[in-house]
Amino acid sequence: MSLLQVKGVSKHFGNLVAVNNISMTVEPGELRAIIGPNGAGKTTFFNLITGFFLPSAGRIIFDGRDITDLLPARRVWAGMARTFQVTEIFPELTVRENLRIAVEAAAGLRLRAWLSQVDDQKIRARISELIGMGGLSAKADRQVGELSHGDQRANEIMMALALKPRLLLLDEPTAGMGDQETYEITHLIRRLHKDSKLTIVLIEHDMRVVFHLADRIMVLDQGKFLAEGTPQEIAANEAVQTAYLGQAA
Amino acid sequence: MTQLLLFNVTNGLIIGAFYVLMAIGLSLILNLSNVINFAHGSFLVVGGYIAYTFEPYLGFWGALIVSPFLTAIIGLAVEKILISRVYSRDPLYSLLLTFGLAFIFEDGTRSIWGANGKPFTVPAFLSQPLSNEFFFITGYRLFMVAVVTIAVALLFVLLRFTRAGIRIRAGTLDLETVSAVGINVRALRSLNFAVGIFLAGLSGVLAGGQLGLEPTMGAGLLMPSFVAIIVGGVGSLAGTLVGGLLIGVASGITAVFFPAASEAVIYVLMALVLLVRPRGLFGEEGMLT
Amino acid sequence: MKEPPKQGIDRGLVVLAAIWAALLLAPAWMPLIGGYTALGTRVLVLGLAAMSLNFLLGFTGVLSFGHAAWFGLGAYGCGLILKYVALSTPLSVLAGTLLGGVMGGLLGALIVRRRGVYFAMVTIAFGQVFYYIAFQWSSLTGGDDGLRPFYRQPLHLWFATVDILNNTTSFYYFVLVCFALAVAAMAFILRSPFGRTMVAIRENERRARFLGIPIELHIWIAFTLSCFFVAYAGTLYALVNNFADPRGLHYSQSGDFVMMAVMGGMRSFWGPLLGAVVFVVLQDYVSSITINWQIYIGIMFVVVVLFFPRGILGAIRRRAAA
Repeated sequence: MSLLQVKGVSKHFGNLVAVNNISMTVEPGELRAIIGPNGAGKTTFFNLITGFFLPSAGRIIFDGRDITDLLPARRVWAGMARTFQVTEIFPELTVRENLRIAVEAAAGLRLRAWLSQVDDQKIRARISELIGMGGLSAKADRQVGELSHGDQRANEIMMALALKPRLLLLDEPTAGMGDQETYEITHLIRRLHKDSKLTIVLIEHDMRVVFHLADRIMVLDQGKFLAEGTPQEIAANEAVQTAYLGQAA
Repeated sequence: MTQLLLFNVTNGLIIGAFYVLMAIGLSLILNLSNVINFAHGSFLVVGGYIAYTFEPYLGFWGALIVSPFLTAIIGLAVEKILISRVYSRDPLYSLLLTFGLAFIFEDGTRSIWGANGKPFTVPAFLSQPLSNEFFFITGYRLFMVAVVTIAVALLFVLLRFTRAGIRIRAGTLDLETVSAVGINVRALRSLNFAVGIFLAGLSGVLAGGQLGLEPTMGAGLLMPSFVAIIVGGVGSLAGTLVGGLLIGVASGITAVFFPAASEAVIYVLMALVLLVRPRGLFGEEGMLT
Repeated sequence: MKEPPKQGIDRGLVVLAAIWAALLLAPAWMPLIGGYTALGTRVLVLGLAAMSLNFLLGFTGVLSFGHAAWFGLGAYGCGLILKYVALSTPLSVLAGTLLGGVMGGLLGALIVRRRGVYFAMVTIAFGQVFYYIAFQWSSLTGGDDGLRPFYRQPLHLWFATVDILNNTTSFYYFVLVCFALAVAAMAFILRSPFGRTMVAIRENERRARFLGIPIELHIWIAFTLSCFFVAYAGTLYALVNNFADPRGLHYSQSGDFVMMAVMGGMRSFWGPLLGAVVFVVLQDYVSSITINWQIYIGIMFVVVVLFFPRGILGAIRRRAAA
């Protein structure tokens, strides 16, 4: 059974149609990339999937469940986690503290006034595990706001991972990064995909990243579906090339 | 009974009109700049006192016209020197700032004009009641409603048809985009503030004619303005208009049945609105901040 | 909440010990610098109120400008019990705390979906409702004259009876114990997962939401807790004065609490207490030398906002880090 089915979803803002009747099916274990020129509606599409907005039309089925009307927090509980174009982290807290909050939230401990020794140990162990996975061991006790862009993004991805999601949504994970950092993040994502067998959907502008990581690619243009297929198919697709004319590829 | 009811509803509308004038100025400033102007009541008082000071030289009509402009200039100075520094910060700071300003103004007016109330003379023909039957509607009250109507109408014209007005409205919806399009947001905020204070000053002149002047009157008139905005819906001037009239009328009607509770009823109305329609009557969906 | 490096732990404990030493020995050192014990008691109570507000403002990032409402309700609740129901200090403290806390919780539920200035506006309005009620319902509350007379009652502990009415020093220690209980509870909560979630909401609400945290519920709980704490402070205030009046409910009282928290430093646990010390001392001093003290308080507000937004402790931390 497909993990995520988006059926004919649209979003209007008054007269502006940001997303126009888009459908997408993602299988478990897949790494799907969504690409398209600026203004194609990619982030809005993500926002619809994660519950930031409610769609004007269409339905979203996740893991067999219709989640179209669920609030974002509920979707997180259903197994979806996401990162944002502009890294959303807790800037004045350390990496460890950021992850602590994520791990406790995931464990359903947010309302607890008290933590037993055993629970505390388990949480610390999990935090260390995540810090290691993200390559942040050397910086674990520094304020995240002061870290490099790449490290902030890694922190954010680890926080999403703390939630033990079935589906991870990454909105332009390498946005604004130089070559070195792009390489590191791409490597991280690839590792997560292979080792944790996570299903990942990501929006990207950097084509090197897309072609390196994706199993399948979906192309959007001006809010509408343009094409979908394997990286080879998309690379050869003329309509896609036309849409990108003038854009760096 | 109907006579009494009519009296109180009309009275309520008149009171409501006054609340509207105060509240709309407050609402303007809140909508564009996200600032709760605690000092709004103080500007009302200042407006009244300025009119009082100029009346011997300019007469009632001169004072009525001049005072709001002078008050707006003072407001502009305050905005440029003090308030503009805290726009980019958490709204907490603008609240504390205007709060402190209210203290300064209150004590200031007290030292300049004395702690005792001052009478504000109004042209004789206005104080005449309209007729024996409608004894409660003095000319002055009608005049107040007329002034408020003209002011509000002019404001809506300003906002709808002038370039500055359209920019203010756009800024209320999306300040970032307005700034990105190259419009000078600082100047826009200053203008907006000045307009709001102009209205406060005007309210002060009108209030002075009705109630006389004293340094502490501003605070008492501030709270109904808050409630008018909450009831009408934050972010909507039309809502503030309706909210102000509504609480005025509610107040008026309650005075028939429970005179002691006529002030409390505006808070009851507020609680009802918050329960049933938290965004206010005309408020926008998703007004999270 | 932070897991500080080794050095930090030692420094933190030293500071904590110093604070408690100062508090415990206050009746001894205060007269030496021109103070008096009763002033210390007042500062403790107002400081507790400011810390209660800061629980919400500094740690969750939510601005309430109407906390005086619950403070005043606590005071009136306490006074009403002492005057009409039972001559028992513990009962009156409990009653006042419950009154303020429960009302805060109920009304808070109405407004948690809003945030920022709108939330602040409504809290101001709520505060004024209670001010108005206290003013008008004079048969119960004494109206403008305030609720009086009532007196704090001796405490009947199992080993002795403590006269807290006439003995200012005993009363100071009574208040200190109450203060300690509240502060311990607050610290405990802030160190728990719940406390960390509060900070998360302050730091980045969107991220917190996307970690599956139900924001409105958390804010409501934090709000209600802070209302209970501030109402508790209110009951103590009534005991300090043997008197409760509408001014304790007015939004200017709320403004004072916010100012104390900001002045001391919102991001620190003890900041508001420091702010209370400075504020009360300044206010006492200024009002004793001039009749126009309001202007100076207003100027103080303006100066703090423009030049010391992070408060005294914030400024000190900046220096230390630089």
